[in-house]
Amino acid sequence: MNANEEPLIRIAGLHYVYQAGTREPVAALRGIDLAIAAGEYVAVVGANGSGKSTLLRHCNALLRPTRGDVWVADWNTRDLQRVREIRSTVGMVFQVPDSQIVATIVEEDVAFGPENLGVPEDELPQRVDWALATVGLSKLRYRASHLLSTGQKQRLAIASALAMRPRCLVLDEATAMLDPLGRAQVLDTLRRLHAEGMTLVHATHHMSEAAQAQRVVVLAGGQIALQGSPRQVFAQEEALRALALDVPVPTQLARQVALHVPAFPTDVLSVDELVQAVSARVSVPAQVTP
Amino acid sequence: MSASTDLLIEVRGLQHTYLPRTPLETQSLFGVDLRVHAGESVGIIGPTGSGKSTLLQHLNGLLRPQQGGVWVEGVSLADPQADVRSVRQKVGLVFQNPEDQLFERYAGDDVAFGPRNLGLPPAQVRERVRQAMQAVGLPLDFKDRLTLELSQGQRRRLALAGVLALAPRVLVLDEPTAGLDPQGRQELLHALCAWRSHDGRAIVLASHNMEDVAELADRVYVLVAGRIVLSGPPRQVFAQPELLGSDGLGLPAPTQALQELRRLGYPVSAEVLTVQEAAAQIEALFHA
Amino acid sequence: MPERSEFELLGRMTIGQYLPTGSWLHRLDPRFKLLMGLLLIIAVVATADLCGLALLFLAVLVGLVVARISLRFALAGLYPMLPFLALLALLQVFAIPQYGAGATVLWRWTILRVTDRSLLAGALLLARFAIMVLGLSLFSFSTSTTELAHGIEHLLLPLQGVGFPAHELSLVLTIALRFLPILAEETERLMKAQASRGADFGRGRGGLIQRTRRLLPLLVPLFLASLRRADELVEAMEARCYLGGKGRTHLLRFRAHPSDYLGLVVSLALAVLAIGLSMARAQAWLWHWVGAH
Repeated sequence: MNANEEPLIRIAGLHYVYQAGTREPVAALRGIDLAIAAGEYVAVVGANGSGKSTLLRHCNALLRPTRGDVWVADWNTRDLQRVREIRSTVGMVFQVPDSQIVATIVEEDVAFGPENLGVPEDELPQRVDWALATVGLSKLRYRASHLLSTGQKQRLAIASALAMRPRCLVLDEATAMLDPLGRAQVLDTLRRLHAEGMTLVHATHHMSEAAQAQRVVVLAGGQIALQGSPRQVFAQEEALRALALDVPVPTQLARQVALHVPAFPTDVLSVDELVQAVSARVSVPAQVTP
Repeated sequence: MSASTDLLIEVRGLQHTYLPRTPLETQSLFGVDLRVHAGESVGIIGPTGSGKSTLLQHLNGLLRPQQGGVWVEGVSLADPQADVRSVRQKVGLVFQNPEDQLFERYAGDDVAFGPRNLGLPPAQVRERVRQAMQAVGLPLDFKDRLTLELSQGQRRRLALAGVLALAPRVLVLDEPTAGLDPQGRQELLHALCAWRSHDGRAIVLASHNMEDVAELADRVYVLVAGRIVLSGPPRQVFAQPELLGSDGLGLPAPTQALQELRRLGYPVSAEVLTVQEAAAQIEALFHA
Repeated sequence: MPERSEFELLGRMTIGQYLPTGSWLHRLDPRFKLLMGLLLIIAVVATADLCGLALLFLAVLVGLVVARISLRFALAGLYPMLPFLALLALLQVFAIPQYGAGATVLWRWTILRVTDRSLLAGALLLARFAIMVLGLSLFSFSTSTTELAHGIEHLLLPLQGVGFPAHELSLVLTIALRFLPILAEETERLMKAQASRGADFGRGRGGLIQRTRRLLPLLVPLFLASLRRADELVEAMEARCYLGGKGRTHLLRFRAHPSDYLGLVVSLALAVLAIGLSMARAQAWLWHWVGAH
């Protein structure tokens, strides 16, 4: 990141209390400082109740800080006049596929966002085309939305957010309710979006998903407990275990192998890397001919 | 396997079609065979849309066999006179996201719903609630808590307790760990294992999460598009190369890694379920 | 062998089903179809004559044929209504005796009387219901819920200038329609889950209060689930900058074609004819003609 470039999302001293002023206020966020650069892919992990969802909702002004500030590009999220700009710069995809689809037909749901922004009518079809093509749903353009698989529904949700041409996409456990196929499709879409320059903030509790990000932020008790590249964060196994979290299974496997095989890399993040690590150190035995 | 191998559930040639003779007719099961014995944990693996849920709903009489047969402790569910209520007590079915079905204000009352429907006297209902909550690892004083105040993981275990309170012999679960965080998942799987360890009980677990199945099941059926395509012990089934490519199922990472190594020509076995077993296979390559 | 589980409720209803057969009727502008439907309703209500109603019934049947819907399937949609209809018709015949000049009492038993007029009233009632049900079914067979919502919105758009919330109304309709299949699925799942715990959903035993209590295991979770979905949907809509109908543009715009006008004109003609027959008391003429032969 260029040192002179302003981060896309800047969070300073963020505190958030639910039900403030009632008998049982809940301090969900207790002092978060975070800067997300344009084009960065950040994964946010943490146990249930660590504050992941709350943090994400501050990024597009769905929630406003109790204390502290959140800036999106040049705008402070407390500025009520700028809500449209903020929410069209930071798009959001939620966990439950059905509960974020508004329209009965796929293309109409994608158009919902830009329609709300008053995008001129001759530009609408292009936006819909582009968004659907980016997530690979062009062929299902006229399909009834309730007939899609859960994976397709989440890709539709992504397209609907993309249609507003955001600079950043925030995903709140968007893969939690998907089967392996759906999850693979969504992750694939995210990789492609990132390659094209989209900023991504992806909250998940699948460690293998966090492994594909550039930076991992670990939340616990409303604060940032750990931060760093996936390799850096997953190297701290004991710290993660103490937070009721785990490291990706391929990493666990590599660590186990390294116990008995000296110099075997322990910072492996995926099955592919593991296989590569093995094949780089052991050659395939020649076929034994009788 | 325990000494008593009574056949608790048998399914033979089961077929099922939704909305027959209407324009929306779809066949979902094409002749399924399945057996569950006392003391077993049986896994049913299949992608979404394979017919898992349909199959499970036949096991406790929610759906009746249109063709083929289902027997629960010898009672045929194809018989219109069959005592379905007693079948639903013997075979406890836990749906996906069971915490959605909680309706009572106080947690204990919801667990008591099942036993009360069975017509048990209040003292026995209380005893069932106590045992069920203990089985899922919820403290007994939770029974006086407001249902809505519990966390998602606690509510799921509460819903499970609600089914365990029926004192079934077979527990049938549809995607039991869907949506749980790693800790919640561990707690649930642990509770299931502990429940099953008592004599005469069995578990049937349907999931597309193969890690869950790897941890719990003694025997596995693979259901694809309404047909059983593979069956056997999980190590053997997971090692099949066909399963590697199908994205509808997520092979556990250790198995995936070894299958890939095998594909490259390394002399390893892919019949592994745990990280330790997989590591041992890989270490053997280095020490050869 | 029981061929149907107790739980498969949804398959049989025809109202609300959309069957895309791609016919001429399907391709008409939904605004015009709404107007045609309105004309049908007006005609049915205003026609107090069996001949007129017979004309409308025939018109709906022709409409079904044009829409390429199986007549057997559409007529089967009347079955679930039959008990209800029969009851209403009987009430009409017995409890609302039609006196007045020329009413001949055909049958009498203590306080119950059947006159020719009350028989007629019963017959009219049956005919009207049948036409309405078939007509509504025809409308939903040939119009997707999306088209319906858009049709309503675009018909009412001109009123938005004077503050009428056309888009909000249409959105309420769209969302309700969109979540109907989801709620139906959830209901079925809940029924099955509670039945698996031995629940029995009030098969007529006990007083009203008892039977309502038995529905709680179904109603409470449904209510909670709906509230939760509503919350989630609101968040999603806010995240996509929904702020009401003002200033919104539209992806879909309707343009009327000659066939739309044709459909409207035909419907108008039929409506006028039916009401005309009614006013001319055509059935009286028919009765005479039959009596004279």
